[in-house]
Amino acid sequence: MSENVEKYIKRKVYKSTSSRIAQKFVDAGLEKIRACINCGTCTGSCPSGRRTAYRTRSAIRRALTGDESVLKDIDIWLCSTCYYCYERCPRDIPVTDMIIKLRNIAVEEGYILDSHFGLANDIFYATGHGVPATGENNKKWRDLRESYGLPPLPPTVHSYPEAVKECQELMNAVGFRKLLDNAAKLKEERAQAAKKDKEE
Amino acid sequence: MTEAKKEIKVTGNERPKIGVYICHCGVNIGGVVSVPDLVEYTKTLPNVEVAQEYKFFCSDVGQKIIKEDIEAGLVNRVVVAACSPRMHEPTFRITCKEAGLNQFLFEMANIREHSTWVHMRDPEGAYEIAKDHIRMAVAKARELKPLEVQKVKVEPSCLIIGGGVAGMNAALDLATEGYKVYLIEKTPTIGGHMAQLDKTFPTMDCSSCILTPKMSEISREKNIELLTYSEVVEVSGFIGNFEVTILKKPHYVDQEKCTGCGVCVDYCPVVVGNEFELGLATRKAIYIPFPQAIPGQYTIDMDNCIKCGICARIDVCEPEAINFDDKPEYLKIKVGTIIVATGWDLYDPTELKQYGYGRYPNVITGLQMERLLSSFGPVIGKPVRPSDLKEPHSIAFLQCVGSRNFREGGNQYCSRVCCMYATKQARQYKEKHPDADIYIFYMDIRAFGKGYEEFYESAGQNYGINFMRGRIAEVIEDDDHNIIIRAEDTLLQQPIELTVNLFVLSCGLEPRADADIITSLLRIQRSADGFFLEAHPKLRPVDTLTEGIFIAGVAQGPKDIPDAVAQAKGAASSAAVLMSQGEVEIEPFFAVVRPERCIGCGMCVENCAYGAIELVEDKWFGTVAKINEALCKGCGACSGNCRCSAIDIIGFTGEQIFSIIMGGEL
Amino acid sequence: MSEDYKWRYGFFLGCVIPNRYPMIEASIRNVFDYLGAELLDLPGASCCPAPGVFRAFHIPTWFVIAARNISIAEELGVSPITGCNGCYGTLRDAWYELEHDYDKKKEVNEYLAKIGRTYKGNFEPKHVIQAFYLDMGLDYLKDFIKLKFSDLKVAVHYGCHIVKPSEKRPWNGEYEAPRFLDEIVEITGAKSIDYKDKYMCCGAGGAVRTAVKEVAADFTREKLVNMRDAGVDIIINCCPFCHLQLDLGQVEVNNFYGDVIGEPFHIPVIYITQLLGVAFGMDPNLLGLIKNHELQGVSPFISIDPFLNIVKEQLI
Repeated sequence: MSENVEKYIKRKVYKSTSSRIAQKFVDAGLEKIRACINCGTCTGSCPSGRRTAYRTRSAIRRALTGDESVLKDIDIWLCSTCYYCYERCPRDIPVTDMIIKLRNIAVEEGYILDSHFGLANDIFYATGHGVPATGENNKKWRDLRESYGLPPLPPTVHSYPEAVKECQELMNAVGFRKLLDNAAKLKEERAQAAKKDKEE
Repeated sequence: MTEAKKEIKVTGNERPKIGVYICHCGVNIGGVVSVPDLVEYTKTLPNVEVAQEYKFFCSDVGQKIIKEDIEAGLVNRVVVAACSPRMHEPTFRITCKEAGLNQFLFEMANIREHSTWVHMRDPEGAYEIAKDHIRMAVAKARELKPLEVQKVKVEPSCLIIGGGVAGMNAALDLATEGYKVYLIEKTPTIGGHMAQLDKTFPTMDCSSCILTPKMSEISREKNIELLTYSEVVEVSGFIGNFEVTILKKPHYVDQEKCTGCGVCVDYCPVVVGNEFELGLATRKAIYIPFPQAIPGQYTIDMDNCIKCGICARIDVCEPEAINFDDKPEYLKIKVGTIIVATGWDLYDPTELKQYGYGRYPNVITGLQMERLLSSFGPVIGKPVRPSDLKEPHSIAFLQCVGSRNFREGGNQYCSRVCCMYATKQARQYKEKHPDADIYIFYMDIRAFGKGYEEFYESAGQNYGINFMRGRIAEVIEDDDHNIIIRAEDTLLQQPIELTVNLFVLSCGLEPRADADIITSLLRIQRSADGFFLEAHPKLRPVDTLTEGIFIAGVAQGPKDIPDAVAQAKGAASSAAVLMSQGEVEIEPFFAVVRPERCIGCGMCVENCAYGAIELVEDKWFGTVAKINEALCKGCGACSGNCRCSAIDIIGFTGEQIFSIIMGGEL
Repeated sequence: MSEDYKWRYGFFLGCVIPNRYPMIEASIRNVFDYLGAELLDLPGASCCPAPGVFRAFHIPTWFVIAARNISIAEELGVSPITGCNGCYGTLRDAWYELEHDYDKKKEVNEYLAKIGRTYKGNFEPKHVIQAFYLDMGLDYLKDFIKLKFSDLKVAVHYGCHIVKPSEKRPWNGEYEAPRFLDEIVEITGAKSIDYKDKYMCCGAGGAVRTAVKEVAADFTREKLVNMRDAGVDIIINCCPFCHLQLDLGQVEVNNFYGDVIGEPFHIPVIYITQLLGVAFGMDPNLLGLIKNHELQGVSPFISIDPFLNIVKEQLI
């Protein structure tokens, strides 16, 4: 292939749209997303968009038109959930909640960052805390607690092993365990496929 | 219209022969429920002689089917199962009348709005509901009695509330046609919001130049009694015969003596904010709203006057017009028709804190910009920004402020004028400052009127105005009071941060804050957006649901000047139709008392909102209630509350209502 | 309730407060006690779970775990109270949504039944600031002030979830420019300095910090620049995750963005109860203000000595 063909020929013309992702919002009772008039108040309000490639409105637009790439982009994970877009949307769309839901769909389809997966699986599921004080690495934090006259571990799940079990039971029942396992499986499959592609 | 056929005498006592005509209404009804099945069902109901279906019974052919059955003597009661009686009850009443049947022997079953429209996704349920409606209508039809319409005289005079461009045009039309017009205006001058505007889109006519001649015409027209600084405080009566009480607020300046010389203003020591200039200038406590005000006599603003008495000095006011003892006056008038043209308020953007109005000096509203651009405004048409009185080099306009906003405190509708007024203001500024950078931030540009799209096109091509597609998210201020705008350029998918010298909020139009008062005084309705409700959005756009009362201008919904004037002329014409007829038929649905049952407790007198009931002495039954049929609206408040069941509403008698409830199962 | 206390709450600790910034826990416990408010422990409470991270993975999980945490306070017959905006966001949003969605509440209770718990929803989750401003009131707090700063310039940082979504918060829909935290700060005599984009997010939330630290730090960089331009002495906040981002974040900003910020940042970050406690004349040891210097690699990462010096100069 000539260099110029590769450089200039894109043939990127949308020939159809899909309501697959939009339908997931509707099914979850979030059909408000379809009221979007693309005014850009959300993107204009977004402190993340001022420094990253994350574009709130475009993410919503891509979801609505079925552009699946929106699920893969790391951009949707750069929303800090500051809620300005939510507050200011003239169509009263809970925009931040829509982004959260979009992330749910991404995770469901195996698009989750390694760091987030580790946080969910190795820390939250395992300990019941998002930021734990147990384990050898965290001894300094237990010491710090004691230096302020507090017990080394707080009276949370950290002090009640049966409470960790309770949380895990709940997470299993509601499908969190399954979700994580499935995400891990999909991630692995994709990694394998990418590896194979590269070899070929 | 064909001549009425020989009347078929129906006393109400003979055996009811009911004809039921079930309409498909295209697919509106027929597409949801099986009309043939409804016909078969209807035939099983007692007293039903004829049950028929047709695509559109409201059509000439459809009406003919009904007429033929009446004329053939097959039926003496008619039920049409179709749409809302608000739509076609008058149509079918005329059908009956033309076939010689008393028009009140007609009943309508609304199986469209009440069944097939609201339950279109549940055809089986809709079918059951349609059956119920038909059975109820047949049951009532069985009890119907022939009634005679009442005729009342229509006074050849009209009260017009609101002296803006709509009220003025309606007043001039009616006055020229020879009717007496009372034009009442809350403020000390007529002219309304149009007097505040500089130029008008898309023709760029000077607003004052086209308005002030009309204003003087009003003051000269002998059939118009102009009542400025006045408010309606009470309305009673009914179509053709409204009795209105008007409060004439005290001017504290004798309007006969005042020559409008204005010397008093030079001496008045009290300086307050000028409402006409929207706070961009001041006025004195003794004032006229603006130089071309009509009437041109002065008024003292007693809320701010310190009663120093200087204006009353003979060397200041030679005609001795100042009268601190002026009192409010009440005037009672009788009119046949009323036109409501109360106009609008500008949306107050203070609550939208992200736009900084009221917090940053260089954020102003579109109406304030209009005053800045006005050649008789506070800066004689050379706009400067409030913080340093310098001419701005860059201006950003933001569209849809308070409009198209589905959040609490916002208006959901489009205000229709803002796209054009902002484009017009931008062009005006560009004409004088070709180097200025002008941005209009919009979601959609709505240039729908005659010549508007062309005007919009020219704003880009010939004036270089930058149209930016994106609703501004927030603004902040820099150290020089410049406004830093944050938005997305949605077409580039790019966040932008733009610094401008002046920021104009293109605020939308809102119903008047005191629209509630008018609503309750006149007993007219408002739609969900808060504006006054028309009787039908397409076919009766200037009528209200209260007969004899019409609406015009923005009081009915946002519109530009051409549309407001067109509607005003329409309202004037509709009022004239009534007045030119001299009398009008009213439905005989009023209350009647059965004196033999009445114990004279007087509860109905208290319940009647129209003052239509009084207690009288009857030589047979003692103290009993008596209804004034002309005042009675047939609302039923008396009947529903009567403990002795002594009051009936004709057309809705106890027997009729019970037969509906029992659904003919008696 | 013990007779000595006017208020009683269930102290929902969350994660960052007990496990990374225990000085905040110490100061909240001691200040509340000092003010006559009893804080009960919520035994076995877990992560709230964080509204921008765990909710973003799986909304149903977020609902049931949040409901479990609230139910622990319900069993004690008290409102859960938190010093963390993230926990507040979760507990309050979940509470609000469950109150407005009967089916959801039923579903959540079906899950909780599996572990023998029930969610009733009759106790409103509160924030420490909400207790100060709405339950106790400024006048009540003012009576405890013994010492007043004569010249302390404060950058108040609200964070996001304490005010938004506004319809689920107790501040009458105010979200663009709230004043409640400034008012609490100012009863100590300190001056709240207006700075550019005061209400902007710190950058940590919404899973951003875990995803890309540099992005979170860029938010923080912008905030710190604006604070420094306004000439502030300290930062006051009411959320441990903002606290972490503004404290540890300064180290990261100095590291990632050293070439664009000029002077490295070293603005002391103080939690609101630490500031109040000082003005109440409380022992700084009770407020977690005195650091054991033998511990390495622990918070606070930016020295608060400049603040302690101001306290010495102006209050003692």
